[in-house]
Order: sequence, then C-alpha cells, then structure tokens
Amino acid sequence: MTIKRMAGASQRKFFANCACCEPSPARNSVPLDRRNFLAGGLAALGLGSTAGIMGAPAVQAQAARTRIDVHHHFLPPMHREALAKHKMGAPKWSVQMSLEEMDKSGIAASVLSQVQPGTWYGDSAESRLLSRAINEYGAKLVQDHPGRFGLFATITPLDVEGSLKEIEYAFDTLKCDGLGLLTSYDGKYLGDPSFAPVYDELNRRKAVIYVHPLTPNCCNNVVPGIPPGSIEYATDTSRTIAHLVFSGTSQKYPDIRWIFSHSGGTLPFLTQRFIQQQKVQKHAHLPNGPMPEFQKFYYELAQGNTKAQLSGLFSMVGVSQVLYGTDYPYRDGAEVNDGIAAWNFNATDLRSIENETARKLLPKLKVA
Amino acid sequence: MSLDDMDKSGIAAAVLSLVQPATWFADDVPLSRKLGRECNEYGAKLVRDHPGRFGLFAVISPPDTEGSLKEIEYALDTLKADGIGLMTSYDNKYLGDPSFEPVYAELNRRKAVVYVHPTTPSCCGAVTAGIPASTIEYATDSTRTIGQLVMSGLSVKYPDIRWIFSHSGGTLPFLSGRFVRLAEERKPAHLPNGPLPEFRKFYYELAQGNTPGQIAALLKMVPVSQVLYGTDFPFRDGAEVNAGIAAYGFNPEDIRSIERDVAFKLIPRLKQ
Repeated sequence: MTIKRMAGASQRKFFANCACCEPSPARNSVPLDRRNFLAGGLAALGLGSTAGIMGAPAVQAQAARTRIDVHHHFLPPMHREALAKHKMGAPKWSVQMSLEEMDKSGIAASVLSQVQPGTWYGDSAESRLLSRAINEYGAKLVQDHPGRFGLFATITPLDVEGSLKEIEYAFDTLKCDGLGLLTSYDGKYLGDPSFAPVYDELNRRKAVIYVHPLTPNCCNNVVPGIPPGSIEYATDTSRTIAHLVFSGTSQKYPDIRWIFSHSGGTLPFLTQRFIQQQKVQKHAHLPNGPMPEFQKFYYELAQGNTKAQLSGLFSMVGVSQVLYGTDYPYRDGAEVNDGIAAWNFNATDLRSIENETARKLLPKLKVA
Repeated sequence: MSLDDMDKSGIAAAVLSLVQPATWFADDVPLSRKLGRECNEYGAKLVRDHPGRFGLFAVISPPDTEGSLKEIEYALDTLKADGIGLMTSYDNKYLGDPSFEPVYAELNRRKAVVYVHPTTPSCCGAVTAGIPASTIEYATDSTRTIGQLVMSGLSVKYPDIRWIFSHSGGTLPFLSGRFVRLAEERKPAHLPNGPLPEFRKFYYELAQGNTPGQIAALLKMVPVSQVLYGTDFPFRDGAEVNAGIAAYGFNPEDIRSIERDVAFKLIPRLKQ
C-alpha cells in the first residue's frame, strides 16, 4: 500500500488500492482470472479469453512510459473561473502536476478532457466561449509538450449550432483527437433526438467520443450523507449508454467510436436488465438484444479496476474494448496500475489495454 | 402460480414479501397502517394454509414510526412472521435515515431479519426517456440505501438486525470501491476498517443478480456465506435464477449453502 504525500493544503490524498481493504477470497472460490467460467458464453460471442492465462505480472514501468491515458482531466484558468462563478467545485490541477504524474505512472501520453459539469450553465454564448477557450488551451498544451498530450475537445450538444462550429474548428484547426462529452445535459441523455445534427457530423468524421459522467439534476442530493460521486456518476453512465442503444442512436451513427468512463459505470452489472428490457420492448433495431451494441463500445478502467469491476466488465466485453485511464487529478495512475496489476493480465492483453487500442482509435495522436 | 413455479423450480418454501411500492403512498399513514395490517394478515394466512411452503416478511412503513412499532409487534408476536420487508426508499428517505432509529432499535432488540426490495425512487422514476425504472433505477436504489445505511452508522449501531438485500446488492459490488474511498476521505469513527466489513455482514439474494459477471463481482465483495437464493417471482422465475446458479459452477457445498443453509440459519423455523 502506498500513501501519496500531500502536495498542497487542498490536495486530496490518493490511495493506492490497499491489500488491507481487499475482501479475502470467497470460500472455495477460484480466482476469476484462472477460471474459464465463461467458456460457453464467451466462446459463442467470439470474445478473446483473458481467463486462465497467467502471464508475467505487470511491471510498474516508471522508467519506460508506455501507457496512454484516455481519461485525464485538465482545468484551464478560465474554466476554473467559470466553475467558481457557478459555485461548482474544482480540483487542483496544473500541467506540471499532470506531467509529473505521467512520468511517475509510466504514462507516455494523456488525452485531455474537460472536468464536469462542463461548460453548460443555460447560456449558449457562455458555453461557446468557454468551450472555445478550453479547446484552444488544450491544443496549446498538445503543441507545447510534443508527444505528451492529446485532446478530446469540448462541445455542448444542447447548442447544436455552436457545437457544429466548434467541431469544425476543433478538428480541422486545432487537430483534436476526438470529442469529450458528458453523460447528460440538463437531463437530456446522449440519445436525444435533438443532438442528431451533431452526430451526423461526428459520424461523417468517424469521430471518437469520450464520455464522462456528471451528476444529473435529478440526483444531486438524493441521499443525505452520500456525495453524488459515489453512486450517481456511474449510474449516469449506465443511463446514457442505455439511451444511446435503445433509442437507436448508436446504430444510426455507426462510425462514431464511443469510449465510456469507469468500466461503463454500472452497466456490466446490469446487462441482464437491458436484455430483459429489449425482450419486453422489442425494438426492431435490436434483433439480437442490446449486447452487440454494448460490445462495440470502449470502456476505460479509471475507478473501474477493482476485481469485482473487472470481473463484471470482462463478462460483457473482451480485452479489445478496454482502455487505460486514470481520472487524474481526481484519482491517479498508481491506483489504476495497482488494479491492473492485481488482475494479472498477460503481456499481450496488457499492451492492448495500456497502449495499442488507444493508438488504433487515435492514430493521429503523437506519442513520445 | 407461486406454488406451480415453486414445484417446477425445486423450491421447498418461499418467504413472501410485497411488491413495490409496498404500502407507502404519499405519506398516507392511515392507509399504510390499514393496508399493511391487511397484507400481513393475508400473508400469514397463506403461511398457515400451505404448511411448510411459505414464510412471511411482514410489511411496515418506517416513516410512520408509531404504526411501524405496532405492526412489528403484531406481525412478529401474533402473526409469527419470519422477518420484516422494507423498500429501499420511502419518497426521499433512505434506510440510513435517522428518523427510522426507533424502528431499528426495536428490530435490533428482536434480532430481526429485514429483507429490502427496491422501489422506483422518487428522484428518478422517469429520468431517462425510453428506459423503464426497472432497468437501472431499482438496482441503483439498492446501492443508495445500503450506502447510506452503512455511512450513517445505523447498521453499526443496530448490529443485530440481519439485512438481506435484493439482486446481489443492486450495483453495490460494482461500486464498492467508491465507498471504500469515501470512508478513506471522511474517516467516519464507526468504520475504522472502512465500509467493506459492514457490506460483508449483510446478505444478498441472487434474483436478477445471477449473471456470471454479477456473481463474480458479488463474490469479490462478500464470501459465499452471505449469499441467498431468490427468484423475484412473479416478475422473474425460478428457472432463471436456477440457470444462473448452474452456469456459475458453484461446488455442491456452496449451492446447498446458497439454496438452503443460510436461509435456515437466518430463519430456523423454515427447517420444519
């Protein structure tokens, strides 16, 4: 177990997953990574098997930076000011902090995205200015630190006109690597029909969209004593994935590549519910249920790398759909590295998760 | 229907509970008391009329303290109910609500078994267009209520209550790390070793919680000794959970534990 030094008065302590917090193995249980309990199901789905393979333990590559972090936040000063103005909390962040963290955790490049709740406070003009400023700032970081950063540009799909303009600018001028969206905007989930013109354009561009949760308006104070981050973020991810699939949106725009945060929120735990929903609703566009769509998406491992989460995730998708992410600065590389190490991936799967799948999705990303 | 499914699915006895939202409707206390009593009487009659086939988790509505205390006494002492059935939330109150303490004090004194089923939470019934509440919101509400029960300290304060949660804990096994980190940040005095020891004291039944992914995740959080058999009949059936259990590949001891022994431990009367 490692405990990070407090780097500043307001710095949150980061804890690596500690062995003392791990539940002891279940009676008579076999560690999941040695068990091929999914033989029938997974084989039928044609998913690669990570079960039953004991490769070399993951090496904490502090000297060699090989990882690509697809879940890494940045907070430009103007965004911090806007958050303060709207009475939203904000983490401590600087590019120096990111670079130090990346060096420490063996991360070659991080693809930067906004912090929640983003740039929408009911005002298109503000959102456009803020998104542009954030995107410009991010693009400059990419430029100033060659091979260390990429950019998931910010737009607010509620503002279709502004989004279309910003997409053009972010992709064509700023050369962003993809877009960063939130799970919902004013209660509208990502399958909202009003977002169609935005998706038309993103589909045309075969864009990668990275989706990060926020707490929807319904659920800011639902459980006294439990901050929304504990439950509501992950839940909102599940809601928006479900909405994309059941509305037909993900199929209507099949060239968009979706990356979801935190191993899909709570989606892997609820797969049977979605299958059941389709049995009842009988959508014509889901003849084989929702699973084939879920299995096309990508899922990154920040705050999604406990053994329970990995068990759930790999019962739903193969390693090919899994990416590396830290959720920096809220969490850090040490935490996800520990979670990955505890799972004992073989070397091929590790390379896939930590580097190659991201390179494939983001071929223009320059990696040092 | 119940008896047919039980015979078909190899179920000796089923412990009955109400469908959500049980008997709590818009703070209507008189209705809740009347309906609660009637439902409990009805359930108790089923138990009597079909010896050895049924048990009963009696309904109460914890926001009505006085009514609940009266009904607990009647249900457990007169009707001989096997435990109490609660919902995950009552309007905006979750099971860690301090106003429920008098009820918990009594349940604790009686070392009661309390079975918790989700309901559509008032926050989130229609949050996502086209996605019914049962797909995501029920399971999420289980997680909310377990989280609050533990973080509030009430499960520690009333340690003799035996809690059973539905559907393998909703989404809790997938989110347990979030609560571990929350406790690391807040350091509540009542959780010196974090929330996991509390989560591990609770019981979790497998209805709609028995995909390979769910069982694997659940067993990363709790030992098999905390796992119980459940069908969610009539919403789901015995065939479904039986298939899920079979697919997982439990050894025979664990199957016996899940399907019988733990229930007998919690509710010894069922052995007869």
